Amino acid sequence: MDDRRRRFEAQVLPHLDAAYRFARRLARSADDADDMVQEAILRAYRGFDALRGSDVKAWLLTIVRNCYSTSFKQQQRRAQVPLPEEHDTQDGHALIATTPDPESASIRRDEQHTLESLIAGLSDDYREVLILREIEDMRYREIAAVTNLPMGTVMSRLARARSVLKEQWLRQANGEPHAVL
Amino acid sequence: MQCSDSPHVQAYFDGEADAVTAANIERHMERCAECRTLHRDLDELRTALRRDLPHTAIPPALRARIMRALDEESSIDKLQRRPRPTWRTRPFWIGATSGGFGMAAVAATLAFLLVSPQLTAPVVDEVLNAHVNSLLSTHLIDVVSTDKHTVKPWFAGHTDVSPVVADFEPQGYKLVGGRVDYLDHQRAAVVVYRHGAHVINVFSWAATQPSLPEKLTRNGYHFVFWKAGDLQYCAVSDTGRDELIGLVRLLQDLGGTDAG
Repeated sequence: MDDRRRRFEAQVLPHLDAAYRFARRLARSADDADDMVQEAILRAYRGFDALRGSDVKAWLLTIVRNCYSTSFKQQQRRAQVPLPEEHDTQDGHALIATTPDPESASIRRDEQHTLESLIAGLSDDYREVLILREIEDMRYREIAAVTNLPMGTVMSRLARARSVLKEQWLRQANGEPHAVL
Repeated sequence: MQCSDSPHVQAYFDGEADAVTAANIERHMERCAECRTLHRDLDELRTALRRDLPHTAIPPALRARIMRALDEESSIDKLQRRPRPTWRTRPFWIGATSGGFGMAAVAATLAFLLVSPQLTAPVVDEVLNAHVNSLLSTHLIDVVSTDKHTVKPWFAGHTDVSPVVADFEPQGYKLVGGRVDYLDHQRAAVVVYRHGAHVINVFSWAATQPSLPEKLTRNGYHFVFWKAGDLQYCAVSDTGRDELIGLVRLLQDLGGTDAG
């Protein structure tokens, strides 16, 4: 393996999981997300020489987002907003790591499902800033870089996304007998 | 009606406010119930999101698919930059049998055809994953030592096998340590060498499979399998194939083998 490839693997591949999660949240279909991540990694590899500075994660997620914009957005627009697929709640470790008590585990599963579908229902603009902040734990500055938005817009979208999500979450919780237990 | 300070509450909550602003917000929240509620809401939502959204890791199959795509990409790259055929463009046994005799080549071809279904043996994937993970993560070495008298006894307490361990620094293969990986349903011993800038992992575990391919290349990594006594060995690296075989020969000379 040549030196360039080795540096790429050492610097970029540690962020592969983050790229995958972000792609899954953007695309909402597992196949599209897979293709997006692969495309993003290849683009990243081709453009690796242009990478300056140390913020590799923001750089990689920017590429994921660009892949989404160019090749998948049109396709998604035509389709109905899909709900998360049935098996979505099955992957990931969060579910396995839940409390052993079966009853609260099932409540947790419901909540998880609720939050998943509420997030899936947010518009792209809101969803991406929310995910980058809350799940990927990125700074406003980094989110602004990934989304190519001014910091002020990042902050206002984030505030709006949070208040919309919170409102819907409360509404669902009150409407659903499980979640108020 | 929203308090005009609420944007600052969010910045404070996200750890983006400087110390002076943070102090002001804390004072403000003491007397503004609306901003206190906002802060609590933000906190509740974050807790729920981080607890309930799966922190999905990339599936191994997709990771492998991407690595293969990268292999293709970098070989195109290489061809464009240095237009010469690489070893990957010819079957591995040509090098192994060049200078040998025709019968050997025919036998090697037959052997290749016979063992080729084994290229998909799950243990190969396991070894590949273990090797790649050792390079990506910080878990390359559990016991750091260039002394075989430290590494070998360490395995006795941590794995089910006692492999050949030796330092070949004069020959260019520096012993750097050992590690335990879980492979083929058992705790395999991994001896780690450095050869120039390359890491070579030598895996060993109690042999359970009748036969594994002797040499193969997957995702740009070379694998050499051999057996010694009841131990199955596999050396893996991104170093040149011949360099890898060089280390294997040294180990085989020490260990006594029943396969080449």
